[in-house]
Amino acid sequence: MEAATAVRREHAAPPAGVPRLLAGVRAHGGRMSFREHTRWYGDPAVGLSARGLIHEVDQAGLRGRGGGAFSTGRKLAAVASARSRPVVVVNGMEGEPGSGKDRHLLAVAPHLVLDGAELAAAELGASRLIVAVRRDAVDAVRSLSRALAERGKGWFGLDPVEVAEGPPRYVGGEETALVHWLAGGPIRPLGVPPRPFERGVSGKPTLVLNVETAAHLAQIARYGAGWFRSVGPAHAPGTALVTIAGAVGRRGIAEVGLGASLEAVVRASEPRSEPAMLLAGGCFGGWLPWSAAAALTCDPDALRLAGAGLGAGILVVAPEQTCVLAETARIAAYLAREGAGQCGPCTHGVRAVAGDLQVLCSPQANGLVTDRLRRRISVVEGRGACGLPDGLVRLVSSALERFPDHVAAHERGHLCRQSAVVPLPPARALSDADWR
Amino acid sequence: MKLRTLRVDRIACDGHGLCADLLPERIRLDEWGYPIIDPAPVGGEVAAHARRAVAACPKLALRLERVG
Repeated sequence: MEAATAVRREHAAPPAGVPRLLAGVRAHGGRMSFREHTRWYGDPAVGLSARGLIHEVDQAGLRGRGGGAFSTGRKLAAVASARSRPVVVVNGMEGEPGSGKDRHLLAVAPHLVLDGAELAAAELGASRLIVAVRRDAVDAVRSLSRALAERGKGWFGLDPVEVAEGPPRYVGGEETALVHWLAGGPIRPLGVPPRPFERGVSGKPTLVLNVETAAHLAQIARYGAGWFRSVGPAHAPGTALVTIAGAVGRRGIAEVGLGASLEAVVRASEPRSEPAMLLAGGCFGGWLPWSAAAALTCDPDALRLAGAGLGAGILVVAPEQTCVLAETARIAAYLAREGAGQCGPCTHGVRAVAGDLQVLCSPQANGLVTDRLRRRISVVEGRGACGLPDGLVRLVSSALERFPDHVAAHERGHLCRQSAVVPLPPARALSDADWR
Repeated sequence: MKLRTLRVDRIACDGHGLCADLLPERIRLDEWGYPIIDPAPVGGEVAAHARRAVAACPKLALRLERVG
């Protein structure tokens, strides 16, 4: 124990505030090589409490950073209690358009992610460890392969970490879709149950950890649950990476303390003009008028209660002239294209909802269209194998409920100017090859 | 008595609509022809009709599942 403490002193002290994940990266001015990483952090297993990783992560209250905010401790425990040797998958598929935080983390701090992944795999006695990353995230792919070469065999003597470069689809980060693709199928969600933690890759219980979640796990192992909880509210402790987009001077990735004022986070990104609204949580989040957003914090539960979300940390800042209906129509059209085409109510419903929104933004708009749209979102909700339709329902509801005057103006024939604030990939029809 | 509820496999279902014909008490179709299912447990007289609807589904997408 003394030796371990002595070794620890040579390394950087635990970050006292924010940033945490990016503290070392900031100090090094960029990507941390394996040598820089080990000098900063030391051996990842040092400092791990005798009660083990699962206990520590559970005590830390870590919740997944991929969008679901599910308890990582419970997920670990569920996989640990399975009878056969599990598989660990690090999920870097980051399907949400505009999100770049997992890709960024892999590009600058790949060893922190790999530490967390290897710690989890070692703790669970995993037979395989796979890091799945979007194949178009070239910087992340390159940094990851360099990192694996730098690490050699890895800390825990596991077989080589496998890297899987997946197709960049919106639903690609959904756990069952990813598992399906890793088994050789198209990257489309499967009906559930069984969940991946019961039966996933090769039929084995599978722990799917978001990239950022794996990095937090590595820091919890090193610095402990008490340290982790020293930032953020008790129900959602720690920091989170957010991707800020829209009309701001400083777009990109920021690390924020959960519980931080949303207004402060947005102001720090230097809005070009006074924000009028905020899309919090991306395509499965919701719209908030700026007055409401400014009173809220970066808290997944509070944002969900407010009809939005934190999701995978996407914040889109929209200025005064933004049309919330046109932006929502753009997102709905995107989701209609990116739908897996498996579930009838989603395939037809999302397309119909996107169509209604488009009509609402045209000279043909009237109150009957809004009524039909409301009826349709109530019919579509809960009727997909994955959460895509439910996400769209939340998004559309937030636009209709939070901006009734704007909706009424459209119904009376008011036409907004073109609006394209939310970052979305260009429209393109998908073929079968795009799902492999 | 075992409580059962109707559940549809959304991926398997392709909207034949037979279930809504056989069990209008519990299943109606949306505007695209896909079933909207009453989540209430199925019991009593309805149970026999529900079993027929399950058996009639050409995609085997409709199931009676135990509650809980």
